[in-house]
Amino acid sequence: MTAQIELEGATRSRVGLDWVAKAAALLPRIVFAGYMILFFTYLFLPLVVMGAATFNTSKFPTVTPWLGTTLDWFAALWADHAMWRALGLSLLIALAVIAIALPAGTAAALFLTSLQPRARTFFYALMVSPLLTPGVAIGIATLVLWHQLGVGGGTFLIVLAQASFITSYVMLMVVARLQRFDRVQEEAAAGLGASRFMIFRRILLPYLRPALLAGAFIAFLQSFENYNTTLFVRGTETPLTVYIATKVRTGLTPTVNALGLILIGLTILAAIAVEINRRRSTARTPA
Amino acid sequence: MSHSVDLIDVEMTFGGTHAVRMLSAHVEGGEFFSILGPSGCGKTTVLRLIAGFINPTSGRVLIGGKDMAGIGADRRPTSMIFQSLALFPLMPVWENIAFGLEVRKVPKAERRRRAEELLELIALPGYGDRMVHELSGGQKQRVAIARALAVEPQVLLLDEPLSALDLKLRQHMRAELRALQKRTGVTFIYITHDQSEALAMSDRVAVMSAGVLQQIATPRELYSSPATPFVAKFVGETNEFVGKVSKTADGIAMVDSPHGSFAGRAGDAVAVGNAAAVYVRPEAVTVSREARPDSLEARADRIEFEGAVAMLHATSRAGQPLLAAIPNQLLAQAPVAGETVWLSFAPDEALVLAHA
Repeated sequence: MTAQIELEGATRSRVGLDWVAKAAALLPRIVFAGYMILFFTYLFLPLVVMGAATFNTSKFPTVTPWLGTTLDWFAALWADHAMWRALGLSLLIALAVIAIALPAGTAAALFLTSLQPRARTFFYALMVSPLLTPGVAIGIATLVLWHQLGVGGGTFLIVLAQASFITSYVMLMVVARLQRFDRVQEEAAAGLGASRFMIFRRILLPYLRPALLAGAFIAFLQSFENYNTTLFVRGTETPLTVYIATKVRTGLTPTVNALGLILIGLTILAAIAVEINRRRSTARTPA
Repeated sequence: MSHSVDLIDVEMTFGGTHAVRMLSAHVEGGEFFSILGPSGCGKTTVLRLIAGFINPTSGRVLIGGKDMAGIGADRRPTSMIFQSLALFPLMPVWENIAFGLEVRKVPKAERRRRAEELLELIALPGYGDRMVHELSGGQKQRVAIARALAVEPQVLLLDEPLSALDLKLRQHMRAELRALQKRTGVTFIYITHDQSEALAMSDRVAVMSAGVLQQIATPRELYSSPATPFVAKFVGETNEFVGKVSKTADGIAMVDSPHGSFAGRAGDAVAVGNAAAVYVRPEAVTVSREARPDSLEARADRIEFEGAVAMLHATSRAGQPLLAAIPNQLLAQAPVAGETVWLSFAPDEALVLAHA
């Protein structure tokens, strides 16, 4: 009888220990899950609120009070010609920036990887410095310089000012890929009679293609969303970021939210397309 | 007949270090010529000089009797197979093979046809549309060979192309390369640090050490009559007795060493009173349990069975390690470890070379 009681006690205490051990093992996961929930809430709640506000009849972009559900703001966006002009200008600027930053960044990357280690460190620091310089400073510097030459603010200067630091992004991406390039391939091609140009076109460029696509994508986003540098060199031009900022002062309506929602949608679609394309190409060739 | 290659007083320095010193060599058209040496001896530099990837500090490189000064790698009648193969990973196999033809603006249909022919030659028919990463090591190897041959080079330069393969495949590719060379008649210049590879495949072998050409000879000459102590020790196994020449007569020199006096065929520049060494191959050494005239007393350490022969490792009384080959049929009577043995060899099987 005594023995049995003892046995029960032992079992009970073991169960208790078990429970503590389980909880202890689970704790890191609970903390992690909680952290992730907070993190993503922090990240996405503003976007959700902004998106929801698009469908509120209120004249101000807000979700409280909810005055009624509507799609009118999309119609208003459609009718906002100034906004469309600003968007068109932003796209034009982004394309021009890509046209400059892609070849310039690639050339810088090729130059950088051909240098001796010491010179490379110096040139690397030089090329990366625009990324560490405040955008405002780049904007003012560009304006001051070109003002001396008699060129005022406008689309031309916006493109130049943005390209001056976006080129560095492209360079970094191309350098990262170039570092993994097997240089013997160039010799192999030259040994088979290929000229420098042929080697570039047939060997190097196909190899750099993913980095160039990614670089163009980053350049587009950087240009499209740029505000602080653009503000100083825009002259009388109004790209989208400047237009939206102006609206904040003159009276913001949920048309801006509608625009934001559309841009988010397009971004998600583009990301999906890129991912599908990436998976397809990794299935074809090794990394 | 394919082009010959001449190197005349070629010097190559990289920032103060001599990679190649005063090297002169003549490679016959259609010859299978190997350059053998340990890593860092400058053999790859020689190959790159011939290919035109680098230019000699001084001296001349002639291909087919024509001076190559000022002619870049892309305009020389050479083709190179790299140690890493350096196939183009983003092109299918057939485009890899036909790349040299694409450079020469050969129409696409013709390129494809030539690629298929070469795939036939390297026994990979139907592999044209595969990607490089889908091939095995041996297959990649063969594609690299086909790519180099597609441009119909006069001289094919091979930089240790078999070093990444496993032993069986390496031996197989050795035979294939040799057969391919005979069939195409192209001049092959083959770089390797593997002496058995060089001896097995080549018409002639150049041995290099520390940027200096030691000897150019047929594989058999290289083994039987090494010109320098380095060659004697690098190619095959050998016993070395360093000492001083005491007399020379009728092409036989006598060397007094701490291990005793030994006679051998006198090499170049062997003179009485000079430092010299006697070299004798393990298979020329006779092992006996009794003292014989002119024999060397030693203690047997161990016997390593190597398949075709067994190698006796022994130590002389002066403490020098010695090697003697024991034929399989005598293995039953071979000495055991710790036993005292006497080693001897005939003077005409030993070689006396001046020792620095």
